[in-house]
Amino acid sequence: MSDISGMISFDNIEEVDKEQFMTFTCDNEVYGVSIKYVNEIIGLQQITAIPESEDYIIGLINLRGKIIPVIDVRIRFGKEPLEYNDRTCVIVIEVASTIIGLIVDGIEGVVSFAESEVTPPPSVSKLELQSRKYVFGIGRIDGNVKLLLDPNKLINDSDENEEEVEIEVEQ
Amino acid sequence: MADDMITEGMLDMFIFETEQGLENLENICLDSKDVGEFDEDNVNEIFRIMHTIKGASAVMMYQNIATLSHKLEDVFYFIRENHPESVPHAELVDDVLEVSDFITSELEKIKDGLESDGDSSELISTLDVFLKKIQKKTGSATQPAAPVEERPLQEKPRFYIAPVASDASKFYNIYITYLKDTEMANIRAYMAVNSLKGIAEDIMFSPSDIISNPDSANVVLEFGFKIALQTTEDAQRIMELINSSAGIENVEINECTSDDFLEFCVEAETPSSSAGEVLMAPIEQPTIRVESQKPQNIVLDSEEEKRSEEKSEGETEEKKPALARAAKRPAAKKGEAQSFISVNIKKMDLLMDLIGELVIAEAVVLQNPDLKVPGLDLTNFQKSAAQLSKITSELQDAIMAMRMMPLKNTFQKMNRIVYDTSKKLGKDIELEVIGEDTEVDKNIIEHISDPLMHLIRNSVDHGIESNEKRAQIGKIEKGKIVLEAKNEGGQVWISVSDNGKGLNKEEILEKAKSNGLLGNRSEKDFTDKEIYNFITLPGFSTKKQVTEYSGRGVGMDVVVKNIQGVGGVLDIESTEGRGSTMTMKIPLTLAIIDGIIFSVGGTNFVTPTNTVSEFIRIDKEKLIVEPDGEEYVMIRDDCYPLIRLNKFYHLKDAVDDIEDGIVVVLNHEDRKLAVFADKLVGEQEIVVKPIPSYIKQVKGISGCTQLGDGSISLILDTGGLVMV
Repeated sequence: MSDISGMISFDNIEEVDKEQFMTFTCDNEVYGVSIKYVNEIIGLQQITAIPESEDYIIGLINLRGKIIPVIDVRIRFGKEPLEYNDRTCVIVIEVASTIIGLIVDGIEGVVSFAESEVTPPPSVSKLELQSRKYVFGIGRIDGNVKLLLDPNKLINDSDENEEEVEIEVEQ
Repeated sequence: MADDMITEGMLDMFIFETEQGLENLENICLDSKDVGEFDEDNVNEIFRIMHTIKGASAVMMYQNIATLSHKLEDVFYFIRENHPESVPHAELVDDVLEVSDFITSELEKIKDGLESDGDSSELISTLDVFLKKIQKKTGSATQPAAPVEERPLQEKPRFYIAPVASDASKFYNIYITYLKDTEMANIRAYMAVNSLKGIAEDIMFSPSDIISNPDSANVVLEFGFKIALQTTEDAQRIMELINSSAGIENVEINECTSDDFLEFCVEAETPSSSAGEVLMAPIEQPTIRVESQKPQNIVLDSEEEKRSEEKSEGETEEKKPALARAAKRPAAKKGEAQSFISVNIKKMDLLMDLIGELVIAEAVVLQNPDLKVPGLDLTNFQKSAAQLSKITSELQDAIMAMRMMPLKNTFQKMNRIVYDTSKKLGKDIELEVIGEDTEVDKNIIEHISDPLMHLIRNSVDHGIESNEKRAQIGKIEKGKIVLEAKNEGGQVWISVSDNGKGLNKEEILEKAKSNGLLGNRSEKDFTDKEIYNFITLPGFSTKKQVTEYSGRGVGMDVVVKNIQGVGGVLDIESTEGRGSTMTMKIPLTLAIIDGIIFSVGGTNFVTPTNTVSEFIRIDKEKLIVEPDGEEYVMIRDDCYPLIRLNKFYHLKDAVDDIEDGIVVVLNHEDRKLAVFADKLVGEQEIVVKPIPSYIKQVKGISGCTQLGDGSISLILDTGGLVMV
């Protein structure tokens, strides 16, 4: 339910026919995040770890004098962390005036989806809940599936709505 | 509303000026509350303030404010003119403060972009009752309270009729100059006109677009304001009326013939002032359309001639040919630099940030690894670098000085709080303010206002006993709170002392015990300071009764948190029965500080240089390990608790052997703490930045900063470590 309502409000904001999504790989899946949230993409740079913070918060980076936190999307989704390599990128997104960097395995490109091409995610099994609760819709293009992310959920600590989601699943 | 003609700038000015007026008003009231009456200067000043507010708010079409200030003006007009014998002063002060509160709350609405919809009629009727009362007392109720009252604020538009000289009427040329720092001179000029129109048979003024064109304020300042008046009154009466508005530097009133008067009309019809249509406009009706103005930079030939004599006066003048004639008058001094400008605080913050970046960039350049190539001759580089460092540090000092503000305004607010709170609680309390000119960074001022307010309320509410109690225990002196600020070694100390009952140690200990805060230490072990510090813990209140002001136990912890937020500490001293003193010790500035960098397991930490008392390498035998794992180090016979940062923050790859690393001894208030780190990295000026709010607070870390190599380092907060 919350995913669907999320999608509705999402679509209301954007009244153009097609919305563009920045897609990136993480583990074996392709995710998309609306480009209206994306500030820029930078290569990996020196990260200062912050002690005693959540495991997915990798640390702070210095983006031209601005200090922004970076999170590892893999760890956020409960997947095994991967050694960073030269394909590893940081997508800098700005959501509700919070600027944050997302560490992803690699960038794919930009795709456009019309509203009709996006379907809400199917009811999910508990196992996949970790990553699926951030997904508000699924876009299909040329037989490929892109999981479209709601950055609000991604950056906000969503542990408290976990129970809520579970109840819905049981129903 | 008249949104078309009221521009942003005018609104800002209106708000700014009205706020200043109200502030003055409050101060006068509070200063005089002990004297028991307003002296003549005070009455005049309040009258002037209300007059200004009335005029400005009427122009801005805030009728509720205008009518209210009009009524208060009436009251003070009566007091000024009739000197009534017995004015119930306390009542009057309360009324004035209520008016001030009302206008302040309306201003808040206006600032938030809302309609000013407050209803002032209740206050007005209160004032009416008050006015009637004092009129009756002086037996002068039959006299009209004030001439202004006879003339309702909203008159019907009056149309311009060509001057016809009656026998009794005289003609005057009036020339008003305003002080150079006067805000909204155009509105003031309008008010002068406004005050004259009561006696005027005919009136004209130049520049005539003072209401519709905010730029005319500059013209009025530069060239003065000119009025032609036809009236039966004499010059003295005119002078009186004009002088009731503030900011006037000089008024010249010359009687003239009707011909001169007519000439003025023609002169005013030059394109520099507004079109003739504006002249014809009813002066009471401020809605002159902006469209009626002609472009200001057209200069007529005849004007050009006059102007050629003044060529040297520069280009800016070319754009403002308004009243070229008046420019010749000696009264309009030009080239006199204004001593103050007001700058948007955002621009200051931006400048501050940029200078912060500059300081970092300087470090990046001067510590660049490329310079470390062996065999480079850097003599010239070093010379230039030294010069650069000098300039940047001067630049920093300059911006710091710019941001320094006296604590005066903050302290004055406290005056009001003491007044209100003590009145409600029925306590007789006097506030003494010392060192209100002490300057502190603007950012810090913003952060200490709330805690200070809280401390003051605490003193009024808990500290000082009720009048009966004082009499009972034989305290003859009046309840007194002293608010003091002073500079003390790179810090500002702001203290609130009262001569009340002081803190009761037993009561605090009792409460701490029942809250389970004492641990396994015996009560006698606690120093006074430790006991007092209990009151700063959340939810800790020994007050049995919750009042409107305090006693809920949320407060002191917030105060302490706020003070710590700006890197300060709260110091509590108390003598039971004699009163207590709470001192906020706050750094002068937050933004750029000297720091010492050390690393632990690959992570860099910075600590402000002034918190470091020494670095020392110690031998194994100086390390004392308690059975529960707590460690202490002995340095010159003193024993300090040791925190190993690697264990504290679970950092990997750090030095474990106490002899291989280094011990940094940190001060926090009067406590010392040893921190074990791998190695020292260096010293640098650091620009404090907050940790992004996305990351939850980490204990012992107060912020972060960028180092010379562009990497980020965490700022260690000694206070936070000590608390652990």
